[in-house]
Amino acid sequence: MEGTSTFSFVVQQMVNGISLGAVYALIAVGFALVFNVLKFSNFSHGGVIGISAYVGFLGALHLHLPLLPTLLLGTLAGGVVASVVEFLAFRSIRKKRGQLVYFFVTSVTMLMLLEQVLVIFFGASFFTYPQLIRTTSFTVGGVSISILYILMMVCAAVAFAVLAWALRYTKVGIAIRAASNDLTTTNLMGVNVDFIVLATFFVSGLLAGLSGVLLGMAYTLYPQIGQLVVKGFIASVLGGLGSLTGAAMGALALGIVEVFLITVMGAGLSPAVIFVLMVVFLLVRPQGFAGVSFKEKA
Amino acid sequence: MSYFVTVGVFTAITIIGVLGTFILTGLTGLFSLGQAAFMGLGAYVSALLVVTFHVPFPLAVVLAVLFALGVGYFIGYTTLKIRQDFFALATFGFGEAVRAVMNESVKWTGGAMGFAGVPQLTTPWLAAAALIAAVWLVRNVRYSKFGRDCLAIRTDELAAEVMGINAFDHKLKVFLLGAGLSAFAGALSAFFTTYVEPAMFGWTQSAVWIIMVFFGGRDSLTGAIFGATTLSALPEVLRFASQWRVAIYCLIILLIINFRPAGLFGRWELSFKGLSRRRPPGAGAGKGRRKAVAEKGGADADA
Repeated sequence: MEGTSTFSFVVQQMVNGISLGAVYALIAVGFALVFNVLKFSNFSHGGVIGISAYVGFLGALHLHLPLLPTLLLGTLAGGVVASVVEFLAFRSIRKKRGQLVYFFVTSVTMLMLLEQVLVIFFGASFFTYPQLIRTTSFTVGGVSISILYILMMVCAAVAFAVLAWALRYTKVGIAIRAASNDLTTTNLMGVNVDFIVLATFFVSGLLAGLSGVLLGMAYTLYPQIGQLVVKGFIASVLGGLGSLTGAAMGALALGIVEVFLITVMGAGLSPAVIFVLMVVFLLVRPQGFAGVSFKEKA
Repeated sequence: MSYFVTVGVFTAITIIGVLGTFILTGLTGLFSLGQAAFMGLGAYVSALLVVTFHVPFPLAVVLAVLFALGVGYFIGYTTLKIRQDFFALATFGFGEAVRAVMNESVKWTGGAMGFAGVPQLTTPWLAAAALIAAVWLVRNVRYSKFGRDCLAIRTDELAAEVMGINAFDHKLKVFLLGAGLSAFAGALSAFFTTYVEPAMFGWTQSAVWIIMVFFGGRDSLTGAIFGATTLSALPEVLRFASQWRVAIYCLIILLIINFRPAGLFGRWELSFKGLSRRRPPGAGAGKGRRKAVAEKGGADADA
């Protein structure tokens, strides 16, 4: 009896960890997409997550949208907001061939600005999504599985399947991959780079929007919810910068480790342990899980 | 204490913290998202030493800075060998870890409720003296051979190493200097606000310091000081619209980065030599010197 309960405990935590990791993977892959093309850590991604979480919330609350339209609305909002951010904040730096640090500073500023927009319109108070799912959980062999967690995994799986297809077979997707390899050469090959960068931000924003709505449903809504983007940052570095698969793997690992740490030692000290694990990992395997080492210079 | 003096002391403390970021990010090109954590270490260690262990204030500040240097050595030694992005991530993780420890060790630090009852020992004069000393220190580092080596590392690390500069060694020293300055600023702030809490030292604080450096211009020490002064006083000036002030602040920074990416000051430095050099060529040497002296006096009076 003792053995089965330990087993079901581990399975339970694995399920929780994988579903949390799935949402982190959505963040991390969106984060990594922009990193691959423009080679900077785009923290404004967090702002996009926050805005779309609130847009989805407004849709569900005021338009009484059911589950799927809410998810779609948030996702689309993310894409639109990210495109606007690219157009307003990053385009002119790119045109002037500004250094990477300017992108970085701008992205942090955009995160703060988008957060502040939420504070201005909604105040610093907390909100919860209306009940969009009827039954909250079911039990399989002593393991209780929340429907929301299933939803997270399904959403992530669908999103990644569509993304993988788009990157491999559509013209824009192929151009995004080419741009990740070398932006200048892609331009020389006659590809409209401005459009491709905008498209990259749009796709990355779609992922941010989806993760935003899911995070909003899983937790409460507050203006700083977008700061969860750092989970994507951690995951994409652990996974190996320059690799989308690596980012997703890093996110899954991060989700599982986090859930276990929180059950074992509580939410308080787990950041300290995650930090130590992260530094050790970076020292042992600086190229990340995927092993694609991204080079700044030849 | 009048309102303006209070704002002035806060600004002085912010400038000392920003100077650490200036050396680190402006001069050497390292992005640390954990600088505020060093400020937190300085604040907590000095406050604990004075309140709980009754250590005299000056000794407590020195011990707090030494403690931060020790931690900084450990963090820097392990993380500065890895790539830049990883360094930003590692320092970020360090900052959050420090905050987690502060939140959790309720018995010592009061946890998330904060640590109150610190005596107010940072006088305006002390803050002013500390500010002058910090500016003097950073200015000398910037113009020394060491500072130029750091600039070379920022510009091209590989080329700098080929020229015989030990990049890792330089980065570690710069990181320690930054950590020490931040811890010092933290100790001063703890004994001015008489209260510390973990929420003051998150990664966004570190990011704000980086933003201040870029606002003024990362190649200009004058610019960094100007950026710190303006951006820490700006929220006070914009108090009439408290909800909008952070948004306005962000917009100003976005405009500057987009339209004047080198920062407001670019490479320009406030210098007395520069002022005297600006006179037209052909002016008599003696007359020129008198004029320079007069201008120097004028500049002093302005300051």
